[in-house]
Amino acid sequence: MNPKLQKQLRQALSTGGGPPRDVVSESVAARVPNSADLENYAMKQWESVLLQLVDCAADGPAGPKNPFIIKVFQRSGLLTPSSRENESPSLTDLGFQFLLMDTNSQLWQLVREYVTSSEDRGTDSGELVGFLLELGFHLVGEAYSVNSLSPALQKVLDELAALGLVKLQQGMKESWYIPTKLASNLSASLSESTDWQSSEGFVVVETNFKVYAYTSSKLQTEILRCFTRLEYQLPNLVVATLTKESVNKALGSGISAEQIISFLRKHAHPHVAQKIPVVPETVSDQLRLWETDRNRVQFEPAYFYDDFPTMAIYEAVVAHARDLGGLLFEDASAKRLIVRSDLHEDMRQYIRKQSSGAPAQRK
Amino acid sequence: MVNAIKGILVTCDIPMAQLLISINDSMPNAHKFIVYMLDDTHIYVQPDVGKMLQSKLQEFRDQNTYEKPFGTS
Repeated sequence: MNPKLQKQLRQALSTGGGPPRDVVSESVAARVPNSADLENYAMKQWESVLLQLVDCAADGPAGPKNPFIIKVFQRSGLLTPSSRENESPSLTDLGFQFLLMDTNSQLWQLVREYVTSSEDRGTDSGELVGFLLELGFHLVGEAYSVNSLSPALQKVLDELAALGLVKLQQGMKESWYIPTKLASNLSASLSESTDWQSSEGFVVVETNFKVYAYTSSKLQTEILRCFTRLEYQLPNLVVATLTKESVNKALGSGISAEQIISFLRKHAHPHVAQKIPVVPETVSDQLRLWETDRNRVQFEPAYFYDDFPTMAIYEAVVAHARDLGGLLFEDASAKRLIVRSDLHEDMRQYIRKQSSGAPAQRK
Repeated sequence: MVNAIKGILVTCDIPMAQLLISINDSMPNAHKFIVYMLDDTHIYVQPDVGKMLQSKLQEFRDQNTYEKPFGTS
């Protein structure tokens, strides 16, 4: 093979193809932040995005809101769509489940929502998707010039910076962006990349339902506040209790006991992570019991049929209801049956057919 | 001729069924909602009392709760 082709092929395979977009001068390269700073920045941005979601769970907005991000949340069904002018949107149960997911799934869901909404705002989604994929292959921590992008993409960069995917910096004459670890996660598969944010678990659950969270992150505190009762908050520790009232409040907002248990399990502190089971059985069983306590009574709208002239008609009607899949209750001794209410019309016609057919048969 | 009655079929466990019967007895005659007691765990009630029953059940659940006050341990 031609040696030049060999060299290009090798480069393309190792760097993901395409001419590199970097026109980075020496002065720029010196001002690129180091990886620790970059990660802190990305984490802070991501947390502030999630905090906006959680703030809507608490009563009333607390921090500054980015209206664009709120709109993205509303479109994906995580916040209620604002119906009136001054009403602040509140968290839906999908939103709660979103909060308890791991970072990669959250990132993907937001990015997908962002891409689908970009069409409505006029940005070409094909270009956007292409750029996002390219972003995934860029090296974390390397600066790339903004000027080499089309103007539409430059607008997109601002929004990506709000999400924490890139960090924008401006020099005297040029501006550049630096992809963060979140951006490289875009191209990594969901299963293999580790959860970068909480590589260290921080939650200890005791058998007396006390929860100790060694974290100072506002986001994690707010998430814990959703289903536990916060007792004490220290600079690096949050003490909370899983009470019946707090869990019932969470169950009422749509979180399931399974999600709470898997959240506690996923963020378990390394000191207890090796225990089997990670969350004590007393706690997990009680959470499930509290959940089933809410479902003790089931209501089913239905129609009640009785006073059948003959047993034969009754049995035919019961068989018909069973075929339709709507038979809820039957009492052969009293010739009564109950069928789901949406099948009422069908049942009525069948019964009429049966009762008009029966006298003809007996003759 | 076959009778059709519209309503709600309630499936629950025996203690809850007794609770529903006691709620029914405490309602004034015009508002009694149980149509038929089918067996120990199934009750047939009027069609529009679903929401009212849910709130009564929630009240019953709340009566059994105690919230420890903050500040004292």
